[in-house]
Amino acid sequence: MTLGTAYFYLCALLAVGGAVSVVAAKNPIRCAMGLLLLILSVAGLFLALRAQFLAAIQLIVYAGAIVVLFLFVIMLLGPAASTPSDRRGLAARVFGGGLFGLGGLASVTLVAQAARAAHRTIPMPAPDASFGGIEAFGSVLFSDALVPFEVSSGLLMVAVVGAIAVARGRQGSHSLSHGEQEVARAATPHEPLRPLHPGVFSHELPESETTERPA
Amino acid sequence: MIPIEHYVVLSALLFVIGGVGFLVRRNVLVALMSIEVMLNAANLAFVAYNRSHLARGVAHTYEGASHTGQVLAFFIIAAEAAEVAVGLAIVLAMYRLRRTVRSDEADLLRN
Amino acid sequence: MLQLFPARDYALIAVILGMPLLGAFVNGVWGKRLGDRAVKLMALSAVGISFAASIVAFAALADVVRGEKDAHVKLSWTAWEWMHTTAGRTGTSIPVDVKFSIDQLSGVMMLIVTGVGFLIHLYATSYMEKDKGFARFFAYMNLFIFSMLVLILGDNLPVLFVGWEGVGLCSYLLIGFWFENGANAAAGKKAFIANRVGDFGLLCAMFLLAWYAGALDWNGIANGASSLVVPGDAARIHVWPLGGGQYTGALSFLQPGYFQSHHTPLLQSIMPAAAVTVSPATAVGLALLLGCTGKSAQIPLYVWLPDAMAGPTPVSALIHAATMVTAGVYLICRLSFVFVLSPFVMVTIAVVGVATALLAASIAVVQNDIKKVLAYSTVSQLGFMFLGVGVGAFVAGFFHVFTHAFFKACLFLGAGSVIHAMHARIHDDDAAQDIRNMGGLRRWLPLTHWTFAAATAAIIGLPLTSGFFSKDEILYRAYVDRTVNPLAGSTAVRGHGVYAPPEWIGHALYWAAVAAAAMTAFYMCRLYILTFWGSFRGWTVGRPSLLAREEVAHDGHGSDNLSTPGYPPHESPWQMTVPLIILAAFSVFAGALLNPGFVKVEKPMDHWLDPVFKAATEGAVIVREASEWTVGLGGIGAFLVGTLLAWWVYIEKKGAPAESAKASAPGLYKLVLEKWRVDELYDATIIAGVDSLAETSAAVDRGIVDGILARLTALLVAAAGTVLRAFQNGVVQVYAATMVVGLACLGWFFTVPHAKATVTDAGNDDYLVTAAPGVGYAYRWDADGDGKPDKPDFGTQGALKVHVPPGTTSLVTFEVKNAFGFVKAKKLTVTRPQAPVSSL
Repeated sequence: MTLGTAYFYLCALLAVGGAVSVVAAKNPIRCAMGLLLLILSVAGLFLALRAQFLAAIQLIVYAGAIVVLFLFVIMLLGPAASTPSDRRGLAARVFGGGLFGLGGLASVTLVAQAARAAHRTIPMPAPDASFGGIEAFGSVLFSDALVPFEVSSGLLMVAVVGAIAVARGRQGSHSLSHGEQEVARAATPHEPLRPLHPGVFSHELPESETTERPA
Repeated sequence: MIPIEHYVVLSALLFVIGGVGFLVRRNVLVALMSIEVMLNAANLAFVAYNRSHLARGVAHTYEGASHTGQVLAFFIIAAEAAEVAVGLAIVLAMYRLRRTVRSDEADLLRN
Repeated sequence: MLQLFPARDYALIAVILGMPLLGAFVNGVWGKRLGDRAVKLMALSAVGISFAASIVAFAALADVVRGEKDAHVKLSWTAWEWMHTTAGRTGTSIPVDVKFSIDQLSGVMMLIVTGVGFLIHLYATSYMEKDKGFARFFAYMNLFIFSMLVLILGDNLPVLFVGWEGVGLCSYLLIGFWFENGANAAAGKKAFIANRVGDFGLLCAMFLLAWYAGALDWNGIANGASSLVVPGDAARIHVWPLGGGQYTGALSFLQPGYFQSHHTPLLQSIMPAAAVTVSPATAVGLALLLGCTGKSAQIPLYVWLPDAMAGPTPVSALIHAATMVTAGVYLICRLSFVFVLSPFVMVTIAVVGVATALLAASIAVVQNDIKKVLAYSTVSQLGFMFLGVGVGAFVAGFFHVFTHAFFKACLFLGAGSVIHAMHARIHDDDAAQDIRNMGGLRRWLPLTHWTFAAATAAIIGLPLTSGFFSKDEILYRAYVDRTVNPLAGSTAVRGHGVYAPPEWIGHALYWAAVAAAAMTAFYMCRLYILTFWGSFRGWTVGRPSLLAREEVAHDGHGSDNLSTPGYPPHESPWQMTVPLIILAAFSVFAGALLNPGFVKVEKPMDHWLDPVFKAATEGAVIVREASEWTVGLGGIGAFLVGTLLAWWVYIEKKGAPAESAKASAPGLYKLVLEKWRVDELYDATIIAGVDSLAETSAAVDRGIVDGILARLTALLVAAAGTVLRAFQNGVVQVYAATMVVGLACLGWFFTVPHAKATVTDAGNDDYLVTAAPGVGYAYRWDADGDGKPDKPDFGTQGALKVHVPPGTTSLVTFEVKNAFGFVKAKKLTVTRPQAPVSSL
């Protein structure tokens, strides 16, 4: 077991652990942390694959921006970000997830078997020192991949504008979710409704529902 | 040396985990994060293949080794970021409208 | 006039036919807008011009007859070529043209129809004055005249059938004229449906004639009539077993002779001992007879005629007395040469006629509605006409048609006049027609009274009136005559039996007819006495003071004060009385046309009509010797008995014997009053059968078609919808799951190897077997059929040439392995057929 092999298995384990945590955790913060772990592991694997620049970009953009964005939204939503789990639609979800999982694992197995049966190994070439570096990357980016580069800048602009437009929304229009409707129905007339936790949207709640102002 | 197949199998495994997570979880935020997982897996596969295939394609300007996989992964990250931004904006709008972040409660086209 | 229209192309017929049609069209389409006076003018002038043209045509015909020395001539006119139908045993083409012809027989009918029709139209202009359907009425009446003329002037059976149906239609329309009352509409329907049953017979007869005689026009049928009695089994029509053939197996007990061989005495007498066949002539005759019983109201299809009295009285006079009901007799006269070919049918006609005459007369004796008595009287008189033509006395039968038109129309119009007067006093429709509410009307309706009396005298056979001559002629001929099939001689020689009626038939027919004549005299005199003699019994019926305040007894011809009780009924206006007078005069004096020796007429009726019936009456034989006077005593005796009995019961004893007879046999009286419950019998048997069939169909429609098929389909669709709806519930993950399913299917398709091959001819007796390509496929072939592959390794060879000589088979197996290592095998059988050996 060389260092490289150990490094790979460590990163792989952490990546899988992070992914499983993303998928299975109840608390969305835990999910976000799992995602962060995954991203760090993948960045490590990029380093093993001689993609230094990409690893750095991964860390800066993914870990530094996207995960942070997720965390902001989770904290913005507050307790509403975590949903109670129940059995609604369990059949469809289990069927879909199970089929996908089985199918995916089966195809991976088949491909691996086919590769093994082909009795061939792909030789790993030895690239020169500048492979994966910032100069090489930049040269490719601004020559062969110029058009996608410019288009992606347009894409980012559109995304920013769109995000602002969607997230702004209309003032004061909201309806109750199903859970809240059930709560309202269950409450007897002389019992006041259990007020929602104000969160940060307290200025949008009707006056009667506001019981305390945030600290 | 780690053979490239290991990286590809790992990528497939991560992809499956992410896909199952998307199909099973009803919390929209977690679903979005599962999509992130899937895309990361794809990035890993691209970079792995790039490492093992250095030959260039037909039309090229740069005279060195082929960096196609890495460049593609780069663009995936960029598009990703845009997607996450817009997606989270939609989640916020849905929350404002429905006071929920569950996907099975956003099943009506009304309102 | 003959120079204007040649005999072959006598276009005046177009005027005779076209004027009533034009009148019907104008009155029907624009009648309401034109107003009553214009409608009157159009209708009367239509029929009047037609009548004038008929007279001109008749004169022309008489000219031609004189010129041709009394041969059977006709003036004909072809409107257009209608169709050709290929029929007949020899496959000939039968042309059917819209062709009309006037010969001696149809000439007389034409005059009756247009003349009496004109008088009745005139009568109706006053009778229907206040009716809001005035224009519609005259449109229908003109249409009826047109249809009747088409019927009698038609030169072939299809055209006659058009007219036949047309008069049936007009009868329906006119009977149900006041259709807001459901009973009237039902009566109209009954008439049409009963006629339709008869029309079925007429159609069958047309088919048979087309097949056997190979023609459908009068000349053609006459020429081909001999083929209706072609001897030999092949030409005969099988009645039992139906359609020829044999009953075998489970149905073998129906086979003729079965019970005879099994010696079952009771059934032996009922079931036939040998196969029953009839000659085509008999079949045609019976089918035609069915049609005629429908139209001319004989047993079994007479039930519509009494109900038809629901229509207005002019309708009853025109259609159900003078013209439409005589269409059946006309048809028999027209095809006389076909009927005489089957003595069986002739006897059947005579028996049906006399039975109907007796039945109807018995019912008429007890009826209380004036129109019902006349209706049953019509049925009875039609029975006489059938009797006349059934014994071969075609001229006598037709002459009775001629005289009956006059006196029956006069009677009906007179009844209408009476009803008109009664209705002004009594508003209730039923009570106004009840003779028990009448009496002594001769004081206030003198003209109606005298014309009614004259017509009554004619119908009961008062000597020297027209009815006397016609009825007596029929009675005489029934007694002495028997027609013989003109072709009987040649048929008998070839060994096929001809039906011979029993000897006593003449006696039976004669005495039955005499009984019917006696009953006729009785009930007609009863009707006359109860209506016009005695004292008026309707004072207290529907008196204005007893009616509601709003209802005012109306007069219609002036503002008379009817509030005082005791205002008497009044006479009818001239439009109603003048036709009565004319018809009454004809009723009395038309007998002269038969030339009894008293009055010399240039061409008496029987000489005039003889050429028409020459073919039919050639074989008439005298069965019994009897002098005309002795036989005529029977008729006079019947008249005297009936009249004197009526006088004694109703004038001498003021109706007391009738009352006591009614009281002593109440059950029988009720039965006869309810017309022997024949309608109820039909209801219980035929109508009930049809009804249950309809109920079954409705139940099947409701239960199976609606309940199961329609609901099942809806259920299936709804279930499919429920299932499919689950895929569109708006949850994103469900959509993703659906995509995963699609992905899985795609994955399966690419993972599993597909073994398909195409075989093409490579020339030189070789076949090229090409396997379908795929990603990463490797193949292994086995071409020699030994079960083991040719080469142990999988190779990339995708095609194989196999040598297959003609007539041999080769078994090729190949296996496919895809990139994942799955293998699939496929067997192919490659055959080359033997090259076809060319034969000379």
